[in-house]
Amino acid sequence: MADLGVMALMLGLALSAYSAIGAVVGEKIGMAELVVSARRALYMTTVAAAVASAALINAFVQNDFSIAYDADHSNTLMDRAFVWVAFYAGNEGSLLYILLALSVISAISVWFAPKRLARSMPWTIAILAIIQLFYFGVLTFAASPFELLDTVPLEGRGINPLLTHPGMFSHPPLLMGGLIAITIPFAFVSGALIAGNYGDDWIDVARVSALIGWGVLGTGMLLGAWWAYTILGWGGYWAWDPIENVALMPWLVLTAFIHSIMVQKRRGMFRMWNVALLNIAFVLAQLGMFINRGGPVVSVHSFAASTLGMIFLVFMLASLVFAFALFLWRMPQLKSDRAMESFVSREASFLINNFLFLSVMAVTLWGVLYPLFSDLARDVSVSVSAPYFDRANGPVLLGIVIMMGIGPLLPWRKASARSMKQWFVWPTLVGLIAIGVLVALEIQRPVAIFSFGVLAFVATSIAEEWWRGTAARHRSGDNWPLAWWRLVNGNRPRHGGYIAHLSILMLALGIIGTNFYQQRTDGALALGESLVLDNYRIEYVDNGDSSRPDRIAQWAEMSVYEIDPDDYKQEISFAKAQGSSGFTLKDSTLRPNDELIDTIEPWHGFYIDFNMASVRSGIRSTVVEDLYVIPRDFLADGRVSLAVSINPLAWWLWASGPFFILGTMVALWPQAAVERRPARKRLKDESEGEI
Amino acid sequence: MASRLSFVIIEPSALPANSTTIIFGALLFTLLLALSGCIRESDITAEQRAHQLSGELMCPVCDGQTIDGSNAQIAVDMRLKVRDLLDEGLTNAEVRDYFVIRYGEEILAAPERSGFNLLAWIVPVLIVLGAIGIALLSIKNMRRSGLESQSIGGTSVAIERNQDDLSDYLAQVDRDLGMSSDTNLSLNADSNSDVLKDSNETGISEKANS
Repeated sequence: MADLGVMALMLGLALSAYSAIGAVVGEKIGMAELVVSARRALYMTTVAAAVASAALINAFVQNDFSIAYDADHSNTLMDRAFVWVAFYAGNEGSLLYILLALSVISAISVWFAPKRLARSMPWTIAILAIIQLFYFGVLTFAASPFELLDTVPLEGRGINPLLTHPGMFSHPPLLMGGLIAITIPFAFVSGALIAGNYGDDWIDVARVSALIGWGVLGTGMLLGAWWAYTILGWGGYWAWDPIENVALMPWLVLTAFIHSIMVQKRRGMFRMWNVALLNIAFVLAQLGMFINRGGPVVSVHSFAASTLGMIFLVFMLASLVFAFALFLWRMPQLKSDRAMESFVSREASFLINNFLFLSVMAVTLWGVLYPLFSDLARDVSVSVSAPYFDRANGPVLLGIVIMMGIGPLLPWRKASARSMKQWFVWPTLVGLIAIGVLVALEIQRPVAIFSFGVLAFVATSIAEEWWRGTAARHRSGDNWPLAWWRLVNGNRPRHGGYIAHLSILMLALGIIGTNFYQQRTDGALALGESLVLDNYRIEYVDNGDSSRPDRIAQWAEMSVYEIDPDDYKQEISFAKAQGSSGFTLKDSTLRPNDELIDTIEPWHGFYIDFNMASVRSGIRSTVVEDLYVIPRDFLADGRVSLAVSINPLAWWLWASGPFFILGTMVALWPQAAVERRPARKRLKDESEGEI
Repeated sequence: MASRLSFVIIEPSALPANSTTIIFGALLFTLLLALSGCIRESDITAEQRAHQLSGELMCPVCDGQTIDGSNAQIAVDMRLKVRDLLDEGLTNAEVRDYFVIRYGEEILAAPERSGFNLLAWIVPVLIVLGAIGIALLSIKNMRRSGLESQSIGGTSVAIERNQDDLSDYLAQVDRDLGMSSDTNLSLNADSNSDVLKDSNETGISEKANS
C-alpha cells in the first residue's frame, strides 16, 4: 500500500510539473494542443492525489502499522469512524489532505471556468500546477506520509484524544480547505493579469470562488470554536492563539474582498484594490501554512517537531514576491471606470469597511509577530494573548458592526439628505431604545450596553430593508412569505449578505454576553454535595467509570436545580463576605423552591500514552445562558474538582452557524438565467476543442 | 467612537441642520446613559478578580494558554497563589509584578503598557488611524479625479453620466414609493407610470453593465 501511495505522489509530481511547463510553453509558442494537454494533466493530478489519499486511508482501515504515520496516529482500539480524522491528524497526512482539496477544487474551477477567460487560462493552469507541484514535492521529498518503520509495532500509538470529537470530522478539513481555496481566486485573477485581461471577465469566478473559500473557512473556524467550547475544558471558544489568528487574518481580508468585489461588479470601481486584497489574502494563507508547519511562534495547535518551517517560509516569501511584483507590473492598467461621487455612498462605506477589516488584520498580525520582534530587538520574551487582542481589536470590530448597519442602507453613488433621514430614523431610534431599556434594567458594563445598542441598530436596519421590500411586493399582490421570498430571490448576493450579517449579529451577541457577563466559581464536591452559583444548584449525584485500555476515564452525574436566592440568604451573604461567587452545600436536603431542571454528565479522561487529559463539559444550554461545568479532575478522596461558569448568550454563538452557511449559500446560488447559459454552451464547446 | 466617526464623514450639506442636532443630541444622551451605567458598576468579588487576573497570566508549561484555562498542576497552584495574594490585600498590579519577578515578562498574557512594550499598544492605534485616514483620503482623491475627468470627458461619458443622474433620481422615486433599490422588474411593470418604466430600463442597462 505504501508503494502505491509513493508512486501516486511521484506521478502527481511529474504531472503537475508537466502541466505548469506545458501551459506556459504552449501559450508562448502558440501550440494550443500543448495547453489542452497541460489542462488535462492538471485534471489528472486530482487522480494522483486521490490515489495517494486512498492508500493512506486504506492503511488506517487495515491497521497497517508498518507505515510510521499510521502507527503514530491510530491503533486497533480506535473507533473506525475516526479513520477519516486520523488521515489528517498529523503533519504529513494533513499536507496530503490539503493537496487533495487543492487538486479537486483546481480541477472543478478549471473545468467550469467561463469561456471568456480562455486567453488567461494557460496562466491560471500554470499557477495552480505550480502550487500543486510544491505540495507534491514536499510530500515526496520532505514529509512523506508513507515512511516505513523498520520493525512493525503490534499496536499503534493511537489518535490524539483531543481529536475524538464530532467537530473534528469537519473542523480541520474545512479550515485547511478554506485556506487552500484562496488559491483559486488568486490563480484566476493572476492569470488574467499576466495575460493582460484587465476587464471584468474574472469578477464572477473570483467572487464565487472567494465566497466559497470564505464560507468554508468561516464555518471551519466556528466549528473549531464549538469544539474548543465542548471539549478543551478551558471554558472559552476563541483564544487568539497564533494558529487561530493566521486563519482569521485571510478570512478578514476575504470578507473585505467579497464586499468590495460587489462595487467592481456594480460600478466598475476598486479594480486595483480588489486585486490587492486577493493577493494579500493569498499571501496570508501561505503565512498560515508556514506558521502551522513549525513556524516561530508557540501555539497549542501546531504540528509538533516539524522541520518543514524553512520550506514553507521560502514558499511564502516567493508567493509574496510574485504577488507584489505582478501587482506593481499591472497596476497602471487597473484603473476604475468611474469616480467616487460622495463620501456618503455605498461604495465609500464599503471602502471604509474594507480598511477597517484590513486594520483588524494588521493589528492581529502585529500581535502575532510582536513576541518575535521583542525577542530580536531586546532579547526579552513576551507573550501576546487574548487580553491584548480583545483590547486592541475589540473597538474596531465594533466599528465594523456599526458599518454593517450603515453601508447597506446607503444607495450607490450618493445619498441624499432625505433618504438618509428616511432610512436611519428607525434603526437609530431602536438602537437608542435598546440602550435605554438595558440601562433601566440596571444592566452593568457600559461598553457592552453600547454594543447591544449597536446590534439593535444593525438588526433594525436589516429588518427595515426586508420590511419595506416585502411590503411593496405584498401590496402588488403576493402573500407575505412569498413576497419576502421573491425579494430575496430578486437579488441573492445582497440578501444572502443580509442573512450573513444576521449571523454575525448573533455571533456578536454571544461574544459580548460571554466576554462581559460570565460568572465563574471553582469547587470540589463529594457525592451528595452541591455547588451553588447564581440561580443554579448543582448536586453531585452519581459517578461511574468508563476506562478503556488507553485511558482512565470517569463521568459524574449531576442534577441541576434552579433555586430561589431567598432560600439561601445566609449562605450567599457568607460567601460574599469570603469574597467568593459561589459556595458549597454539604447536605443534600432541598430547599422549598428548588426545582430540578436538568441532569448533566461531565466526563473526564486521562490518556496514558499521550499524558494528556480530555474532558467533555456538562452544559445546560438555553437561549439566555449556558450553565457550563468543567470536570477538572476526579480527586483521590472521591471528590470531583469542578470549574463552573455561567456563560450568558453563549447559545447564540452556535446558532449563528446555520445562518452563516445559509447566507453564504444564498449569495452563491447562481442566478439561473445568467449562469446556466454559459454552462450549457460549454458542453458544446467541449466537443469542438478545449480552451 | 466609530459611530461618531461615521457622522464626521457625512458632508455638512448632506443633512439639514436640525437633523444633525437631533443626532448629536441623541448621541450625547447615549453617552450620558453609558456613563451612568459606569458609575453603577458594582464591586466584584475577590474570586472574580482572581479569575480576571488568572486570565492575564500565561501558564509557563503550556503552549499559549493562560492559567485560567489550563488544567496543568502549575496552573492550579498559580491560581491558588493569585487568590492568596489578593486575600493578602495586594492590588492587581502588585500580583502581576509578583509573577513577573519570578517568571519574567513572558508570564503576562499581554505586554505591559510601559517602556519598550508601549510599542505593542501604540502600533495598533497608528494602524487603525492610518487605515481610516487612507480610506478617507482615497475617497477624496477618487472624487477629485472624477470631477476632473467629468470636465474634460467626451460625449459618451456625458451620456453615461446623464443616465446615471436619472437613475439616481429614479432610485429616489423607488424609495419614496417604499420600494428598495433592488425592486425587481415585474414590480415596476405593474405600475403604469412612465417614469418607472424608464427606471426599469436603466435598471436593465445597469445589470448588463455588471
